[in-house]
Amino acid sequence: MPKWTGPELAKPSDDRVGRFLQHLEPLKAALEAYCRRSVHDPNAVEDVLQEAVGKAYRDFHLYAEGTNFRAWIFRYLNLEIYAGNRAFRRERREALDEEPTIEEVWQHAIGEPFIERLLNEPERILSRCDDALAEAILELSPQERSVLLLRAIGQFKHREMADILDVPMGTIMSALSRARVRLRLRLAEYARERGLLGPGSLQRPR
Amino acid sequence: MNCDQVRQRWELYYDSEGDSELYLQINEHIAACPSCAKWMFQQAQFEEAVTATLAASEPTAAMWQRVLSETGVARPAATRGWSFFGPFLALAASLLLFVGIWQFAPQQPAEHLSELAAVAHQQLIDKNRQVEFNSASDTEVEQYLKQRVSFPVRCPPRQDAGFEVRGGGVCSIAGDSAAYVVGQVEDKDVSIFILPAERLARFTHERDVLSREAVHHCRDGQYDMVLAKIDHNIVVVIGRGSPDRLERVVRAYGTYPHDPA
Repeated sequence: MPKWTGPELAKPSDDRVGRFLQHLEPLKAALEAYCRRSVHDPNAVEDVLQEAVGKAYRDFHLYAEGTNFRAWIFRYLNLEIYAGNRAFRRERREALDEEPTIEEVWQHAIGEPFIERLLNEPERILSRCDDALAEAILELSPQERSVLLLRAIGQFKHREMADILDVPMGTIMSALSRARVRLRLRLAEYARERGLLGPGSLQRPR
Repeated sequence: MNCDQVRQRWELYYDSEGDSELYLQINEHIAACPSCAKWMFQQAQFEEAVTATLAASEPTAAMWQRVLSETGVARPAATRGWSFFGPFLALAASLLLFVGIWQFAPQQPAEHLSELAAVAHQQLIDKNRQVEFNSASDTEVEQYLKQRVSFPVRCPPRQDAGFEVRGGGVCSIAGDSAAYVVGQVEDKDVSIFILPAERLARFTHERDVLSREAVHHCRDGQYDMVLAKIDHNIVVVIGRGSPDRLERVVRAYGTYPHDPA
């Protein structure tokens, strides 16, 4: 386990530590889950969390009590995840040459018979697609992955996600839409290949 | 609002991000359109299933302990205070125990000695905790520890057990003092933590396994460790050495002629 590499921390006062921990405690599970689902290198989870928490604590004097600590610390975590994934050299290109519009992707999605079957029995299929779900999430662009997970795990609103990712609200909405469609398409494809979508699912030409 | 418009805006509706007018219009539409009502239900059902699959489970306690410890966020350990206030704290603790105040303390979740030892060992490795007393002499380390802790400690294992002592000191494990000895086994850093035997009652997991096994092997993260109850002590040997070598060290503890001083 590498040592914390940030600047030396000032000797903490009990009050500062206590307040920070008080804010952090209820968020540990969500921070960890978000980190585990976001990093390409599963061995990097602890290091990424360590860097994020260390930097957030270093800057805790900048946090205004009574404001949104949850969004504040997720921003630190997100930056560390991006840095860690870049280091792992597996990030895909952020922007595609021609991003489909929200309307286009939904029209495409609702036209897929296999998507419909997926939507009819999501729990049964998802329970057998955990690896595929994890892979599908990692195949999203960093921004799409972030908004999808911030929404699903952190239950963040669009405005909060825009603050965390430092992008406009419109970008959040379009990224979330694209992420949802791509996730469904990927899961439907996976389920079809394994015959999880019912009779006839294996006969569809590729 | 027609069917296409409703379906294009379903996310705003589902994510509760739309304005009141949007909700009113979509609610009116799906009340009159069974096809869209079913479609909206399917979208929500799928998203909720995804959310449930991704939902956060319990945080990993040992990992968070290391994260907080490494980043300096963990509550300051009592170890620094022990060097100066040790005798006073010991007296205060004894008084508290005597009057039975401990009985009113809130119940704490079970702690694992192995996890706490792994954190303490990592702090020594990373130099986050300075070794208090540096010496390659096992007898000097023994004398130092006997002056520093109130419970009995024995001479650290020697080179004939494959352990090259480098020093020792006192740290805090689960809020109480523990002696430690640092050294090397096959050129790998190894720590030995020594606690009074009665402290085992606090660590229910280790208490149970040591009631069944004389020597217990386990692993926390990258470190192997061996635990044993020897004489009046619980001894934890931890490091990256091979488990057999670590067991040899733990078995050597307390086998040297006891110096009553």
